[in-house]
Amino acid sequence: MKSVEAMNTFVQDTGGWVASQLEACTRCGMCAEACHFYQASGVPEYAPVWKMELLRRAYEQKFTLIGKVKVALGVDKAVSDQDLEEWSKYLYYACTVCNKCSMVCPMGIDIGSLIAEVRAGMAAAGVVPDDLMAAVNKQVEEGSPLGVTDDVFESRMEWVADEWEEDLPMDKKGADTLVVFSSIEIMKFPTNIAAIAKILNKAGENWTLSSKAREIVNFGFYEGSHEHTKMFLERVFDGAKELGVKKIVVTECGHAYDAIRWHAHNMMDVPDMEITHIVGLIGEYVDSGRIKLKAGALDNGKTYTFHDACKIQRKGGHINEPRQVMKILAPKSFKEMSPNREEAICCGGGGGVIAIKDADALRYQTFELKVAQVNQVGADTVVMSCSNCRLQYTDCVEHFNLDWKVAGLSQLVADSIMD
Amino acid sequence: MNWTEILAFTRGPLFQVALVIFVAGMLYRLVRVLMLGWQKDKVPAKGSKAVGVVKSFLKGLLIFPFIPWVKRTFTKNPVIYLAGGLFHLSLFVVLILGAAHMLVWKSLLGFGWWTLPLPIVDWMAAVGIVAMVALFINRLFNPVLKLLTGPAEWLNLAFVFLPMVSGYMLTHHLFFRYEVMFSIHMLTVDFLLIWIPLSRISHFMFYFFSRAIHGQEFGKRAVNP
Repeated sequence: MKSVEAMNTFVQDTGGWVASQLEACTRCGMCAEACHFYQASGVPEYAPVWKMELLRRAYEQKFTLIGKVKVALGVDKAVSDQDLEEWSKYLYYACTVCNKCSMVCPMGIDIGSLIAEVRAGMAAAGVVPDDLMAAVNKQVEEGSPLGVTDDVFESRMEWVADEWEEDLPMDKKGADTLVVFSSIEIMKFPTNIAAIAKILNKAGENWTLSSKAREIVNFGFYEGSHEHTKMFLERVFDGAKELGVKKIVVTECGHAYDAIRWHAHNMMDVPDMEITHIVGLIGEYVDSGRIKLKAGALDNGKTYTFHDACKIQRKGGHINEPRQVMKILAPKSFKEMSPNREEAICCGGGGGVIAIKDADALRYQTFELKVAQVNQVGADTVVMSCSNCRLQYTDCVEHFNLDWKVAGLSQLVADSIMD
Repeated sequence: MNWTEILAFTRGPLFQVALVIFVAGMLYRLVRVLMLGWQKDKVPAKGSKAVGVVKSFLKGLLIFPFIPWVKRTFTKNPVIYLAGGLFHLSLFVVLILGAAHMLVWKSLLGFGWWTLPLPIVDWMAAVGIVAMVALFINRLFNPVLKLLTGPAEWLNLAFVFLPMVSGYMLTHHLFFRYEVMFSIHMLTVDFLLIWIPLSRISHFMFYFFSRAIHGQEFGKRAVNP
């Protein structure tokens, strides 16, 4: 039975960290107020507390007296295969693991992490949606969910170097910094690659790409499988170790940053090197004067706003750097959405949701919250530091026929660097 | 058995037994969770975990329950948010700062403290009862709560509500003789004490875990919890 295996995964490393939080939940339902999927659709099953209901049941039934008595009395049922199929939809279609729910939980439960635990159970039970699983398998076999094989990587990078006339050092021994792009940037936003290369070159960074650590994307992390997550992280670390770099820089990719910066150390042996995000690095460069930006370069009568990515801002801590940059580039025309910063509403496409075709209708419905937010400030351009958000914005701008421009932060920075 | 004897029993031996079950039950649950083990967090921090924890508790205890717009999410449902906050404030005021309850604490702990004047405590008790009714109605109609609510949740509400109402009636000498009302109050309290370790009302203990974890997780990332 699938469910038995899944239940064991739910609770295998259910240490006190998870248990104490499950015990703290009062089932007050306030987390629903924070969830963009629930707010947009009104479907009660999308409430974050309901998404982790299987974990609660599995934990109580395995570890607590009360849970066992409840099953014996028929008040609670053991987790069944049908339950898993049902919850698979709540967990993968209607959750971006953005963790806004933990901000409003009166008990402060880190609901996002608990939902990730349930996804681990789903992965073990093999009830991950087909589209997502296909991408995971592709990454296992080819090294990339978007088909960035050795040849594709090499030719794309050569093309970017030629087209934008930027130096893209490859497998450079003795480099300090390894830069790892996401496959979304490599295949869909190549201007980002040129932009980031320009920033690094202008700053005089001794950096390199790696043909081994080609891309940072980690579909195993979406899936919830520890095995796959580690497998994909290992590829990056192997590349980094081989080149002997001191620092790994993750480019405009959210979940990959979450995986490598905030989860890798607790899952595996991580080589002793700094791991940071390109937004953090840009902040450092601007602070130290290694790059200089044209003040007011974007004050051209158009309004700019910044979209906070759940994994880079709320979960990554790079909240101030983008604002610092925007205030230099557009002191007059930069406006904040509300709510913003750590309380921002997620784009609705992260956590693997955008990869699942059957979730499209819900994903568009959820984006209506962002439409309202952006229109409220009357922004012409929405700036962001995550390519997954950018993919969602680009797709939704087309779907809703909006007249906004969508821009990556690195792109704006690169365009405004002074020589 | 007359009412005087019933009162003596409910506030004497039965109360003591209930208290022992309460303390032992809570300890059992605490130890059981602690025994599950705690993995060491090896992730290098960007910000201070300690600062995060302090902020998390300050927000949780002082600001969060009473000012919904601090977290802009609650603009959609402020009544229920306030009802939850006021209910807990009322509980704290009546149980800790009410003279009658302070005397119970004094008999148990051996020392007492300053208490609020009765009219204030009395008003706060009324606020708590009204808040409880609001929470009850909310549970009936809110679609998410309808999904989450089973027999256990209704029993929780009932077992908390009874001591509150009987206590209020006791102070105001409503409907029944003093001994009768006092006995009913004590009986419901005894029952609640036994029920707490079996239910989610025990959240007050795990609150200190989850709030601390929340503070650590956000502090580690240099984000305001």
